[in-house]
Amino acid sequence: MSDLQYKYIGKPADRVDALEKVTGAAKYVGDYYLPDMLYARALRSELPHARIKHLDTRPALNVPGVIAVITSEDFIDHGRFGFPVKDHFALAFEKVRYVGQAIAAVAAETPEAALNGVKAIICELEPLPGVFDMDHALDPDAPQVGFEREDHKHPNFLDMSPVYKGDPDEVLKDCPVVLHEEYRTVHQEHSYLETEGALAIPTSDGGVTVYCNNQSPFITKGNLVAVLGLDPIKVRVIQPHVGGSFGGKDDLNYLTACQVAALALKAKRPVRMTFSREESMIASYKRDAMHMRITLGADKDGTLRACKAIHTLDSGAYSSQSPFTAWRASIHAMGAYRYDAVKVEVTSVYTNNGFSGAFRGFGNTEACFGIESAIDELAEKLGMDPIDFRLKNCLRVGDVTPHGQKLTESVGLVECLETVRKLSDWDRKRAEYARQTSQDTRCGIGVAVLFHGTSLGAEGVDCATNTIEILPDYSVACASGLTDYGQGPRTVYTLITAEELGISPERVRILLADTDTAIDSGPTVASRSTILAGNAMRVAAQTLARTLNFAAADMLKCEPQRVMRIGEAYVGPNEEPVSWEKVVDHARSMGLVLSAHGKWSAPEIHWDHHKGTGTPYFGYHFAAQVAEVQVDLRIGKTQVLNIWAAHDTGKVIFPQGALGQVYGGITQGLGYALMEEAIYADGYLQSVNFDTYLIPTSMDVPDMTARFVETNFSPGPYGAKNIAEPAMVPTAPAIVNAIYHATGKRIRVLPADLERVALGKSLHKRGSPVSCKVGLKVK
Amino acid sequence: MLHEITLTVNGEQRTVAVKSHHTLLKVLREQLGITSPKIGCENGECGACTVLMNGKAVNSCLVLAVEADGAVIETVENLSKEGELHPLQQAFVEHNAIQCGFCTPGMIMSAKGLLDRNPHPTVDEVKEALAGNLCRCTGYIRIVDAVMDVAKKGDA
Repeated sequence: MSDLQYKYIGKPADRVDALEKVTGAAKYVGDYYLPDMLYARALRSELPHARIKHLDTRPALNVPGVIAVITSEDFIDHGRFGFPVKDHFALAFEKVRYVGQAIAAVAAETPEAALNGVKAIICELEPLPGVFDMDHALDPDAPQVGFEREDHKHPNFLDMSPVYKGDPDEVLKDCPVVLHEEYRTVHQEHSYLETEGALAIPTSDGGVTVYCNNQSPFITKGNLVAVLGLDPIKVRVIQPHVGGSFGGKDDLNYLTACQVAALALKAKRPVRMTFSREESMIASYKRDAMHMRITLGADKDGTLRACKAIHTLDSGAYSSQSPFTAWRASIHAMGAYRYDAVKVEVTSVYTNNGFSGAFRGFGNTEACFGIESAIDELAEKLGMDPIDFRLKNCLRVGDVTPHGQKLTESVGLVECLETVRKLSDWDRKRAEYARQTSQDTRCGIGVAVLFHGTSLGAEGVDCATNTIEILPDYSVACASGLTDYGQGPRTVYTLITAEELGISPERVRILLADTDTAIDSGPTVASRSTILAGNAMRVAAQTLARTLNFAAADMLKCEPQRVMRIGEAYVGPNEEPVSWEKVVDHARSMGLVLSAHGKWSAPEIHWDHHKGTGTPYFGYHFAAQVAEVQVDLRIGKTQVLNIWAAHDTGKVIFPQGALGQVYGGITQGLGYALMEEAIYADGYLQSVNFDTYLIPTSMDVPDMTARFVETNFSPGPYGAKNIAEPAMVPTAPAIVNAIYHATGKRIRVLPADLERVALGKSLHKRGSPVSCKVGLKVK
Repeated sequence: MLHEITLTVNGEQRTVAVKSHHTLLKVLREQLGITSPKIGCENGECGACTVLMNGKAVNSCLVLAVEADGAVIETVENLSKEGELHPLQQAFVEHNAIQCGFCTPGMIMSAKGLLDRNPHPTVDEVKEALAGNLCRCTGYIRIVDAVMDVAKKGDA
């Protein structure tokens, strides 16, 4: 597809929200200070597992400045909610299952008074034994975290997601080269710079308007309606600018929204709750930790034959998104390769280690570390170059995946691998670094590949609707239910609208997400906005363009197909241009409707959850990344020197935005590889602020080189796929494989910090509940 | 106890009564209505609250308001004049050095603090000056590019 045919798609563009953000004008939820507004604070559990023996909130009301206090009694069915498993409460009911779980909430005139109110609440917790090791969560005598199950399975069992093809045990018997290893990833904190928050404003009709820095305002609205028993028309959720999310601002923020809304209705005043960083880290869900057991078999010539992947996922105290995370992990657990036989089983379990939920990559970040480490180890056993081994076995157009899905187009993995091989000068460096003898510092270079299913896949209904309208000042306003919390979809929608209407992008305004103006399009997750809402935007804009073309033809007295465009102007056979404004005016005078809806539904697919076969996703993003590292063998310090990334994104619509996603994703992957570990010791998080939970700074990032392999993806708008999640997924295994190349030491437990690189293990550290207990009671 | 302090904030003299334990960040946001310095960690770790105090980049969450008595404070709201963006703001827009935008005001103020004292920094000096400003979205690459671009043009 030639770029010449587009005016705005794939061309340089500024972010539509850039101006507001560089001038400080952009308002985030914590920037709203309304007259009469109250500040809310939650009483949070200081125990990882306990029965609520006695809860008396009346003393809080005697604290000066405290106006209202709520418990689970203030919600319908105690505010029970959750999808896909309804196991969570808007405020704790009967039990707490993790440190940081909200038990009651107070609204007061000042933040200080709210905190004093929280401290005045009488809450007696009776400690229960906890489950802190996912590998023992299903032991017959393990303490019970989850509810009793109707199927009489262990109450701590949440779900199991399988993929089955043939019998790998039989095939493995025939394989001359077999690898069996175990890999572990740890919890990761999202570390969005803006903490969670919501502001609720009671409305005169008895309803409530909630500003919330969530990802998916329609889900927040659905939960508010359910737990408050309000008429849906009286509940409005607005998403202001959001200071990053990466999957992290959904479930916990649903609770926060419900809490502030209940307080606002009770106090009849606006109520805002914004979290301190300590509260955010302690109470928020994390990327799940995963224990992976992988067996691979190959022929001597390097043909991959069989894969077994038996994984356990620590979902923590609640289900949140873990059944879906585990499902995505299962689909990707064998990597982007052909096999004769595959058996994958990913089991998610309850523990009392905080709770786990969505985080960029959503199961694949974890699974990719496992399989791409194992593939590297197998290549080593076979004496093959890691890129050659991957090229020999990786998926190509025409292949049938282990799930039973035939790939008919848009599989750019070979090109991605060849691109990073060339860019990184791979062959020369592999040979050169293999000859190093220094005992002080050594360099290494490693690779990892990725496939990542686009959008929700067989997880659920997958469609989006965008709207478009020409305003009196000839600007064009568009709305989408798929929202922008920093990734950049509002700019993508702008470019698509400008392209289809043949107008300047400056005319286009994409409204901030608001449940009163946008149409529910499912959750803003799974890197689905460009494909789903991009297509919906295109359909809406095309519909409006046809209307205007019809009006232009009427004005120019010719057939609609003879109307041409020069810039924004319309031109007929007499070659006299008519401005966009005049055509809009004429369309109005004709009585035409100058607004449109555009709906797009993803192709229908099916997955059999019992047989473990089917078509899990309607398309895949493919990528390869190469990392070059320098390791100080004496202290185990790894410096990443370079990352080369080639991503098969399909057609790139907003190149600067896509590059930003790649750079940011790689940086999160680098943190995951080398430094980030949210450690729970007996259920207590050990790092509660950025002084001890370290994320990459400007001094940690390497040089990065990114290339897009734009294979055409026919369901995508202009052939586009996606980028947000896949950008980070292969980074950690590429870095760890490079560390192996440099040191000869295989790190199978993330992160590859100083101790693991220098000593091959993590030194035992005694945990402490102090940071959590103090963190929940300060500021 | 309340203390009356006088600050020059974005060129305007402001007198406010502040509590002893309240930070400059809290006073700027809650008493002076300036919300570009963000609450990120209140621990001096993330830099989202960075402002210039007497020309030097500081974490306003670590400065007590009473310590700022008599000081000249500048925030990102003051950088653009009559609709003209400051070169750093312009460079951040052009380089797409922004995603969620929450770190952006602090990041720009740290960069301004650097360029005011060292108009021609090296890449490593830029990275060091911004090391106290966390960004979770961009990977810093474009931010460093934007600052270097301004430094090269020498029009900061």
